[in-house]
Amino acid sequence: MSAARRRRVLVGLALALPVAMLGAASAGSVPLPFFGVLGSLLHGTGLGAGAPLPPPSETILWVVRLPRVLLAAVVGGGLAVVGATLQSVFRNPLADSGLLGVGAGAALGAVAAVRLGWAGSTFLALPFAAFAGAMTAVLVLYALSQALGGGTLHELLLTGISVSALAAAGTSMLLVATEEFRVKTVLFWLAGGLDGRGWMHLRIASILILGGGATLLAAARVLDVLSLGDEEAAALGLPVHFARLVLLALAALVAGAATAAAGSIPFVGLVAPHALRPLAGALGRHLLPAAFLAGALLVVLADLATRVISQNVDLPLGSVTAFVGAPYFLLALRQSETRR
Amino acid sequence: MSGRRRAVRMLGALLLATASLGAAPAPRRIASLNLTADEVLVEILPTDSLVAVTAASDDVGSSNVVGRVPPTVARFRKADLERLVALAPDLVVVSEYTDPDFLYLLERSGLRYHRMEGLRSLAGNRQAILDLGAAEGARAGAEKLVARYDALLAELAERLRGVTRPRVMYWASGMTAGGDTAIGALIDSAGARNVGAEIGVVGIGPVGAERAFAADPDVVLIGVWPGARESLMQHPLLSRLRAVRESRIVEMPTELLVALSQHAADACWYLASALHPDRVPRSRP
Repeated sequence: MSAARRRRVLVGLALALPVAMLGAASAGSVPLPFFGVLGSLLHGTGLGAGAPLPPPSETILWVVRLPRVLLAAVVGGGLAVVGATLQSVFRNPLADSGLLGVGAGAALGAVAAVRLGWAGSTFLALPFAAFAGAMTAVLVLYALSQALGGGTLHELLLTGISVSALAAAGTSMLLVATEEFRVKTVLFWLAGGLDGRGWMHLRIASILILGGGATLLAAARVLDVLSLGDEEAAALGLPVHFARLVLLALAALVAGAATAAAGSIPFVGLVAPHALRPLAGALGRHLLPAAFLAGALLVVLADLATRVISQNVDLPLGSVTAFVGAPYFLLALRQSETRR
Repeated sequence: MSGRRRAVRMLGALLLATASLGAAPAPRRIASLNLTADEVLVEILPTDSLVAVTAASDDVGSSNVVGRVPPTVARFRKADLERLVALAPDLVVVSEYTDPDFLYLLERSGLRYHRMEGLRSLAGNRQAILDLGAAEGARAGAEKLVARYDALLAELAERLRGVTRPRVMYWASGMTAGGDTAIGALIDSAGARNVGAEIGVVGIGPVGAERAFAADPDVVLIGVWPGARESLMQHPLLSRLRAVRESRIVEMPTELLVALSQHAADACWYLASALHPDRVPRSRP
């Protein structure tokens, strides 16, 4: 993998993302002029000469659309970085945050908040409950895997499956007992989406996702050593157990925050690293930044699709990423079979 | 005019001016994101004041105002804040269950909103109509609506005085209506006892076939939707319910069953006429 090619990929993604975000900020149920949006952004951020849009459009851009587009980028980037990290830690290209019980735990927290009535009465109650659920699931996973043997990869995987199944059972139980008019709230969350997300959501999610993501990026060399295998990593002087624990905790933090902010968004953590690995290389220090940009791009475009299409049909964000991700995976599988 | 009198008049004028500045002007462009509000607003406001209603207001089976809202009024399938801001309403009517995160963004967008609350009892519905009328600057229209609502319920109560109250259980795919629900209030006002509340269910909650069977209601109440009656008749246990075997099943049009507006009184009348046909005629006064 040549350094020039890697650089081209990174620069291409770094240029495509702001253009896509600008397009996403312009399109929606109320179209805004592309250059008008650019002018308003330059004016609002003080980066250049521009002018605000007329009043309703300016409000739509700055209060509703901009935080949503930025949050889509942060969430997508975070999920992709988590996917790339877990795939290296577990040495399995199909690993994602679901293995840590994050999605199932977050869903349980969200459904509990809806069932108990918190989500309908308190600002930010749903994302906070989802985040608490995700972190609780990860702590339970850790405690169980320690109690059962010491936390080898195999034990972690099996314990993760069990914790996810338990959380899913709890979610189903609460969902069945939830009143019909509340069920829709939680279904929208479970299906993934960024409706009703503003600057406050962005601020809180960004601290966790960008903070955690940057730490993972800083630890990319550790990730690369760990991906060689436990014995090889230990021979190189890495405290394998501790290093893996820290990486998994960071991944859980980022995935928990992303899931809490946007609900369940499948395939981003699988597709973005998988698509970028042949272009950017498998080393964490190269893959992680590229995966972040690709994941951000994917979710920004998917959210744009939901806003443009769902004027007449309720199209959840999670469905769009699954509609894109599932065929991509089948295609990739077919290509790898053909190569063999 | 003496100096003291002039000072008192000036003070009075100042107080009046302050009061008129503090009070928000009556809204002229109203958007509703709540079907109950749609049903009330259609009655109490000129239709040109409505800039948006829910898409459900056109659904037969959900709405009691099908065909009443002009096609020029925007329809909202979901709470789309971008479209809402573009319509620039003076007031947005939302429901008790509207996501607080969405309400936060609504405020940040500079839009005023009114939340319809307390729609779990007939008294709660009544108060919600009056509150909505006050918020819309259409107090007289709301009071007129409530007067008809009160009169209908009062006549129903009079007709049902001393009646033997059958035990009614609402059934919808394993769920029932317990205490503190609008359907529970509907059953009580129609001259019956709510089995869901009697067996300890609170809110709309799961009851399960075995518990429903053990409760042995006199009448089963279901909504008119495809397969509702058939699923009851074909259920291995519920088909053996005394009420089902004796065909004491009341199928209620869903737009009435779920009505939380002034039409809740019509729903009470409908159920009462099905339960007590000797006391309550099918046609309403």
